[in-house]
Amino acid sequence: MTTAEPTEAVTGVPFTLNGTELVAEEGELLIDACDRNGVHIPRFCYHNRMKPVGMCRMCLVEVDTGRGKALQPSCMLPVTPEMKVETESEATKKAQDGVLELLLANHPLDCPVCDKGGECPLQDNAYAFGPGETRFVEEKRHFKKPIPISDLVKLDRERCILCDRCTRFASDVAGDPLIHFIDRGSQTQVNTFPDHPFSSYFSGNTVQICPVGALTAEPYRFKARPWDLEAVESTATVDSTGARVVLQSSQNEIVRVLGVDSDAVNWSWLSDKERFSYEATAKGDRIEQPLVKNEETGMLEATRWNNAAKKVGAALRVEPDRIAAVGGARMPLEGQYAWAKLLKGVVGTDHVDAQLDDGLPGPLVLGLPRATINDACKPGGVVVTIGADLKEELPTLFLRLRHAVVEDGVKLIELTSTATHLSDFATVRFDVTPGSVGQFATAIAKQAGADLDFDVADESGLVEAQADKVAAAAALLDGSVPVTIIVGRGNLAESPRFTSDAVGIFRRLNDDFQFMPALRRGNINGALEMGLVPGFTPGGVQRESAQLDTWPDVPDFDGMDTKEIFRAAAEGRIDTLLLLAANPLQDFLDEDLVRRALANVKTVIAVDGISTETTDLADVVLPAALFGEVDGTFVNLEGRLSPLRAKVTPPSQARPDWMIPAELAIVLGVELGFTTIDELHSELSEVLPSFADIDWDTLGSSDDGPVLKLNRSWNIEFGKPAAAPPATSAFRLVATRKLWDQGTMVQESPSLASLPSEAAIHLNPDDIERHGFVGDSVTVRIGDQTHTIPLTSDVRVNPTTASIPVCLPGFDARTLITGRSTTAVEIRPNGTT
Amino acid sequence: MGYLRGFAVTAKKIFEGVTTKQYEGGKGGKTDQKAPKPERLHGRHVLNKYEDGMEKCIGCELCAGVCPANCIYVRGAENPPSDPKSPGERFGYVYEINYLRCIHCDMCVEACPTEAITETKLFEFSFSNRSDAIYTKDELLVDDDGRPQQLPWEDWRDGEDQHTSGWMRATAPSGKASAQGTVAWSGELGYGVRAPEAAQNVRTPIDAAIEAVAVDTAKAEEKG
Ligand code: SF4
Ligand code: SF4
Ligand code: SF4
Ligand code: FES
Repeated sequence: MTTAEPTEAVTGVPFTLNGTELVAEEGELLIDACDRNGVHIPRFCYHNRMKPVGMCRMCLVEVDTGRGKALQPSCMLPVTPEMKVETESEATKKAQDGVLELLLANHPLDCPVCDKGGECPLQDNAYAFGPGETRFVEEKRHFKKPIPISDLVKLDRERCILCDRCTRFASDVAGDPLIHFIDRGSQTQVNTFPDHPFSSYFSGNTVQICPVGALTAEPYRFKARPWDLEAVESTATVDSTGARVVLQSSQNEIVRVLGVDSDAVNWSWLSDKERFSYEATAKGDRIEQPLVKNEETGMLEATRWNNAAKKVGAALRVEPDRIAAVGGARMPLEGQYAWAKLLKGVVGTDHVDAQLDDGLPGPLVLGLPRATINDACKPGGVVVTIGADLKEELPTLFLRLRHAVVEDGVKLIELTSTATHLSDFATVRFDVTPGSVGQFATAIAKQAGADLDFDVADESGLVEAQADKVAAAAALLDGSVPVTIIVGRGNLAESPRFTSDAVGIFRRLNDDFQFMPALRRGNINGALEMGLVPGFTPGGVQRESAQLDTWPDVPDFDGMDTKEIFRAAAEGRIDTLLLLAANPLQDFLDEDLVRRALANVKTVIAVDGISTETTDLADVVLPAALFGEVDGTFVNLEGRLSPLRAKVTPPSQARPDWMIPAELAIVLGVELGFTTIDELHSELSEVLPSFADIDWDTLGSSDDGPVLKLNRSWNIEFGKPAAAPPATSAFRLVATRKLWDQGTMVQESPSLASLPSEAAIHLNPDDIERHGFVGDSVTVRIGDQTHTIPLTSDVRVNPTTASIPVCLPGFDARTLITGRSTTAVEIRPNGTT
Repeated sequence: MGYLRGFAVTAKKIFEGVTTKQYEGGKGGKTDQKAPKPERLHGRHVLNKYEDGMEKCIGCELCAGVCPANCIYVRGAENPPSDPKSPGERFGYVYEINYLRCIHCDMCVEACPTEAITETKLFEFSFSNRSDAIYTKDELLVDDDGRPQQLPWEDWRDGEDQHTSGWMRATAPSGKASAQGTVAWSGELGYGVRAPEAAQNVRTPIDAAIEAVAVDTAKAEEKG
């Protein structure tokens, strides 16, 4: 008898596995203990990120706990001291054989047409542990197949082995209990409720975890067979969570994206946007060649790279103060650094901003101490959310946080603009109206003992009315437990000033509070870190204190942010405007201003992979390679670096983002100093202390990726918060975001394009009743304009506020946003003015 | 020293002389006859259809997966509900065989779960460019009578378009030798129901008959 080296703590539970003495962790499930010791037990229903249910009985093993041997499901059984386990015994084998024979009794022989064929646990287990020959000659059970259970997922009930994984995921993990078992006996089936499709933002995960081919995803159905697929690990770039993924391609086309179980980030879960928006790169309207506007016809015409580069070079040879760049959040870190070096270090302009006025002030994000997702989700802690419903903006982070709050007892305090999908589980939830979050923070901080030299300025009495909640929140924030504050932009119709105020007050309440910026654009954290923000150079260093030996120059003035850039451009103060993978006509809140800006700039240069309404108006368009086509690095909202890897070739002449500024620099007679991505990495490690220890080659290959150590040498000054706006008879507007919207990645993915719902104004049912709104629309007046907008009754909306998502089909909610610090709209029953 | 025995075979063959069999009269000649071919010769493929005209191929890519020469390219797609190409959910919408690579091993035929791909006895085809050598689905599909299409560069003779879809597994589906000897020929368009083939390790009357044919042929050759 040998004693194996216990892989974990020695103070565990001793047990015997197939004659070997081992040690399990306290409370560890037998199936996990076996996995950890290299003994594989076949399974279908057990999933290590969900609670066990013991549905399938595939994991039966012979266990002797001192009362004689018995077959027990190892996924339901915590290891107990002196337990003796046999996974190879006759009885175990017979049980495995029997379970498989019964599972296959009603299973169709669909393997050749089944998308799971070739990677199917049922196939694998049947080969490895099954009987080999069938004794079943009777007619099998039949269902209509397949049936769509949502726009993205199809269900084949004949193949389902009733493992309860999909249904458990939907109700326990995603909190969308839209699928369930119905009927009895051999007719038991997974199904949706009548008229309620399984339209969850997370539906793709059920397809990934279904152990058979019962659930298939529309975008991948019949696209390839598992043995065609080539795969590479990468990071999802659609939002700033940075979920780890594997990209699978066949015939040089990405055909599937799967979630990777990264303990630090996404636990293998993905949102459907992260999972399916790869379609945009293969099927979207790609820009394949450099385009230059023909002066005579005004049309964009394909040209060669050097022609286009020459044209851009000429446009960059004007006063630096007359050059501005907007965007860059979509690019890998390398592209962001190269652009920053070209624009700030060579051209010398500081008018560079990666955010489209839809996030939080760059200095705020750069200057806050960061929490990791695991810090925030650690049992026993407190999380404060300020801003948006994470389910709509950062869905994978939402899943992690939901687990922490629902399963692990993390306490949640919500200071969000509307109720969220976590509000039911929040310990304290405030009814925050636009403009008042700073005052709530002040009240909480004062109660918790912060030394503030100002009082709550709350004319409307809103804070006063929630005094008991203030007390409850203050008690949670007394500093005895770790606190993470997740800050986002929950309301586009409200100045981010109020959010900054609240953050500042929490900062002053306790220095140890950690923060997580919930900005939604892909690699926005990389962009800020690389200095694509006015006033900063890479590494979060302020412009005046920049020490960049490899840079020819740094700007000698403080630049404008995106809003100011567009204003200046509209007034003719900008000659050259670069749009780095930005589509401001769609994404910037004042579309009219953008149009005027584009019209008044001499040269508009768009760098993008997909043709948009904005690139159509550019003078020069440079084609960039997209997700899955280039190697690079991603920085997520924790500051964690993870790799982006190329799996397919970019179309035609499209180039990796970092090459484009390198090429343009040569046109300007300067070398950026790197001709390969490795040289770029060396330079980053050399000039930025936070990147000094990064091992670029092994990035993310063995662990979850290094988290950047952010040492800021400067402090943000927080002053007195702006007073909350007075109460009015009008509704205060909350402009929100939806996951499925008119954005480029969704619209260019054929399977997702139809998912956004029509824009509607959401009001609290009490308000609807009080104001006597009837029918399905209302008249909304803002300034001297009136609009008729569909009305939805929504309990999530705070009283006296009106919530409307931007960027949806139908009514363009941007027309309601005034650009004042908060926006008030008058709402009347339809038909009145 | 075992290799000497190997060389001995080579040496013997050197002095045995060659048997190159000419078609009688040559192509287009007076008699122009092809030599008889063995029953199970592997020639150019066909993609079969069911009696109702539905394609048998379901685009499962098993043939492509098993092909040792990597010469088959298949893509599956969802059957359009209004105009299904094959029974069931999936059909093969791209099907190509590259005859510059195919070694006619018949593995694809064995892998096919629907008996969609089979091999005719035709090997008399050649091409002068690469794209002709890549047979597409349109060229491989049989016509509505179950007969292979005859392409301009192929030398088909009367009766050769029979015997195109008969096929047999080398082993029983279960892989067990004991299951050999059960009916394995398919009965379908262009062919007939066949008696079961024997297990490979057992000599049966059919084996004797096949050998007799072979002996006859050899004798006929000797006579010239
Ligand atoms: S689920 Fe697995 S066993 Fe069932 S038909 Fe599909 S591939 Fe075959
Ligand atoms: S559909 Fe798949 S995941 Fe859901 S119960 Fe059936 S087998 Fe399990
Ligand atoms: S020919 Fe047969 S094996 Fe090949 S793809 Fe079609 S059905 Fe599958
Ligand atoms: S894995 Fe244990 S019962 Fe299914």
